[in-house]
Amino acid sequence: MDQPKTANGRGGTSLIWIIVAGLAIIVGGVAIALLTPYVLPTVGSAEAQQVDDLFRFMLALGGMIFLLVQGAILFSVIRFRVRKNDYSDGPPIQGNTTLEFIWTVIPAIIVVVITIYAYTVYTNIRAEKPNEQEVAGLGQRFAWTFTYAVPAEAVPATVDQSRIPDEVQTVLDTEGQVTFSSPQLHTWVGQPMHVLLESEDVNHAFWIPGMRVKQDLLPGRVTDIRFTPIEAGVYRIVCAELCGGGHGDMAGQVTAKGELIGAWLVVHQDEETYLREFWSPEAASVLNPPEDPVERGRALIQNYPCSGCHRLSDLGWTSVTGPSLDGIGSRTQRLSATGAASIEDYVHTSLREPAQYVVPGYSPLMPQFNDSPDEANYMPEDQLEAIVAYLSTQ
Amino acid sequence: MATVTAPLPGARVENEGQRIRFADLLRWSVDHKVIGLQYFVTSLFFFVVGGGLVMLVRWELLTPALDLTGSGTTYNQLFSIHGTVMIFLFIIPLWGAFGNYLLPLMLGAKDMAFPWLNAFAFWLIPPAGVLMILGWFVGQTEAGWTSYPPLSTLFSGDGQTLWAISLHLLGLSSILGAINFIVTIRNMRPAGMGYFQMPLLAWAILAQAIIIVMATPFLAGALTLLILDRVAGTSFFDPANGGDVLLWQNVFWFYSHPAVYIMVLPGFGVISEVLSIHSRKPIFGYRAIALSSLAIALVGFTVWAHHMFTSLQPELRIPFMITSMIIAVPTGIKVFSWLGTIWAGKIRFTSAMLFALGFLSMFVIGGISGVMLAAVPFDIHVHDTYFVVSHLHFVLYGGSVFAAYAAIYHWFPKMTGRMLDERLGKIHFWITYPAFFFTFFPMHLLGMLGMPRRVAVYAPEYQALNVLVSISSFILGVSTFIALYNMVRSLKVGRVAGPNPWRALTLEWTTSSPPPPHNFDGDPVPFKNPYGFGTEAAHLYLEAIESHSGPSAPPPAVTTALPEPAPSGD
Repeated sequence: MDQPKTANGRGGTSLIWIIVAGLAIIVGGVAIALLTPYVLPTVGSAEAQQVDDLFRFMLALGGMIFLLVQGAILFSVIRFRVRKNDYSDGPPIQGNTTLEFIWTVIPAIIVVVITIYAYTVYTNIRAEKPNEQEVAGLGQRFAWTFTYAVPAEAVPATVDQSRIPDEVQTVLDTEGQVTFSSPQLHTWVGQPMHVLLESEDVNHAFWIPGMRVKQDLLPGRVTDIRFTPIEAGVYRIVCAELCGGGHGDMAGQVTAKGELIGAWLVVHQDEETYLREFWSPEAASVLNPPEDPVERGRALIQNYPCSGCHRLSDLGWTSVTGPSLDGIGSRTQRLSATGAASIEDYVHTSLREPAQYVVPGYSPLMPQFNDSPDEANYMPEDQLEAIVAYLSTQ
Repeated sequence: MATVTAPLPGARVENEGQRIRFADLLRWSVDHKVIGLQYFVTSLFFFVVGGGLVMLVRWELLTPALDLTGSGTTYNQLFSIHGTVMIFLFIIPLWGAFGNYLLPLMLGAKDMAFPWLNAFAFWLIPPAGVLMILGWFVGQTEAGWTSYPPLSTLFSGDGQTLWAISLHLLGLSSILGAINFIVTIRNMRPAGMGYFQMPLLAWAILAQAIIIVMATPFLAGALTLLILDRVAGTSFFDPANGGDVLLWQNVFWFYSHPAVYIMVLPGFGVISEVLSIHSRKPIFGYRAIALSSLAIALVGFTVWAHHMFTSLQPELRIPFMITSMIIAVPTGIKVFSWLGTIWAGKIRFTSAMLFALGFLSMFVIGGISGVMLAAVPFDIHVHDTYFVVSHLHFVLYGGSVFAAYAAIYHWFPKMTGRMLDERLGKIHFWITYPAFFFTFFPMHLLGMLGMPRRVAVYAPEYQALNVLVSISSFILGVSTFIALYNMVRSLKVGRVAGPNPWRALTLEWTTSSPPPPHNFDGDPVPFKNPYGFGTEAAHLYLEAIESHSGPSAPPPAVTTALPEPAPSGD
């Protein structure tokens, strides 16, 4: 094989330069990897620590390769740029087997190391943990609903047994538990979570950037995801798989007043705080529903996915996929359009049979809320009535 | 070493009546050069269409709220059509343009193996493009270019059906073209040119054509099922009736991952040509570059499910991580071989060379982020986020489009007989390069910090980076018109190119620019090494060409001291 006619990159002094450049590249790669915490969200889970460590490792190696390639390009264009009036050709070097062997083997070793490292992290993340808190997560266009169980033997002490409605008591007696739903996912520091995910319509993806975990929701299947929060706080839940026009609305939002709307993971300091601030009051509101139907409706409607499409200023909802619910209680012109006897009647029909009347300018996208627990989107009649009562005041 | 193998002369004096006019592009022609230009003009038209759509996307994303487009579905349609147009109506046909125009010339042939089929393959594209655009008016396609069911089957408007029919036509066009390339390379190489004496662009086209023939039928299968689900009441993808949504993802990506190599392999070929010729130095490791294209083509068929790391059954993710990591190695070999090519060369900063160097420096970022994405636990975090949008644009813009620009500056003189304006070319590069970087690099950060892709509304904390991205993208969009203006202007006032302005050794440069309808007078004899720069034999070979075909026009950057080339007719 032809050897270069010049001493470029070869010989005694250039060996020193190769070592200097190599050291600079290694130091530079490590320096780039120090940026890791600034380009990733707060570390919220044990999984996030491992994923970030893996990323830091890959960023260091990637940074070195980046510096090597850019450095070689920069050096070449300065050192080997053609001089004025030089029409000669470069040296006829066709290749160098040793060099080609090196740049095949070293990258191969690098990817083997990354693969093994990534494999161990992945098995750790997927592993089942002891004492997992299991929560069912439902994704639908364009909101999330998480369902929590209230076992008969663990009814909160604050609940007045005599005020449990008969139909709730029946469920408690026959199934051993009742459930309540929330658009928010609550847990506490150190509690391993296991979320079982189902989709009502299209593919979605359940993503909590702060936890570094993501899992697609696939209609017809139950998928699952695990993580263990290690830092108290609130973390946005995001839909990462395109699901339609309101895809972006499927992420947790903050109102102008600073309230959290929609999908958030709330990590409480400890189990006691979780029970006191979330689970017990929510369980109590199912077992001892508020007497005032408007108040009850206001609480209940937040457990359904309505915020994914509708605007409702009272609750801070801002979505625009569906018609606004602001002022729906006084929109009497809808009565003549639909033939409904009253606003209550109109809202009731709109939930049970939304296709009957679609507000002009909008598409018939709204799911039908059924009164049978065997069907999708189950909304018991008493809850529907409370929600109708609430919406009629808006 | 000093034996001179002179090519037979090309037509030295250009016949005015034989020049290809714009009107010729509107007619059926079986001349590969006309077809190549038809592909070229069509793909550039759709480049502008696809670019215009994404300007609206970036305008919408200047603010966290939904404003410009007014509805999420309209926004979804914008990026869905942007992606589809750029892939199927811009990049793939653009490589069809260079493949059709250059391959017969590089092989010293008079045309492709199947000229009629070649024309037919092209004429499938305009109706497909029209169908795609018409879809806008019959119901919105809102499922992205990946069109996952059930969104694409149960929700998306009738535009989705037209989208699928359009892709069917484009896939057919692509398959027919690829068969033509394979047969041409297999059967029409001149005497003295074995596979390992072919220009590396021919190798890249061969590898690409093999992928197209093997992969595109799977796209056709998936599209057929999608159309049946939409119009014939079947339920291949509807789980409520026994279908499976993952079926689409598997079959679609079995095509669409290899499709990434369909889009970038010819770019690799271009880069090999341009880096070697414009640094006047043989390509470093010819065999490694040629064979790594085939390795990429082969391994590319085993990595598809890394696009499904968050939907695939958890236990199947690791095998696809391993294959995806393996494919980084042949790609790395290419990058290092290119560095070895320019090292110690005589680098000329022509516009073509600038874009090739730009490719090298940007594509490597796409390669690094590609390895990161192959690592399952990290991919799970950034899957379906702007990190992926960034990665794919570093590969397909920093890779394919930069290579396409290098190809345009390099071969426009051959295709038109006129040089492009080098000053405008450099302005184009020095605007495009930073604008590209600041459009796509910050997207890595957006994705890692928590912004999913394909959203019209986003959390306010991401606005600053989005504004930076949008403004850079507007500059990038405008920079495109510098190149288009340069091409149109140079057709009229560009310096006459001469047959071999870059003093290259491959056969397309041994005939006049543009070549006569029959390409060569007689059968040209290829030089034994297409990149044998720096040898006495190459010097004598170039002298022999010049003595037959008139002087080569040296690149303008270094022409000042040389006489103007003899005008070769206009």
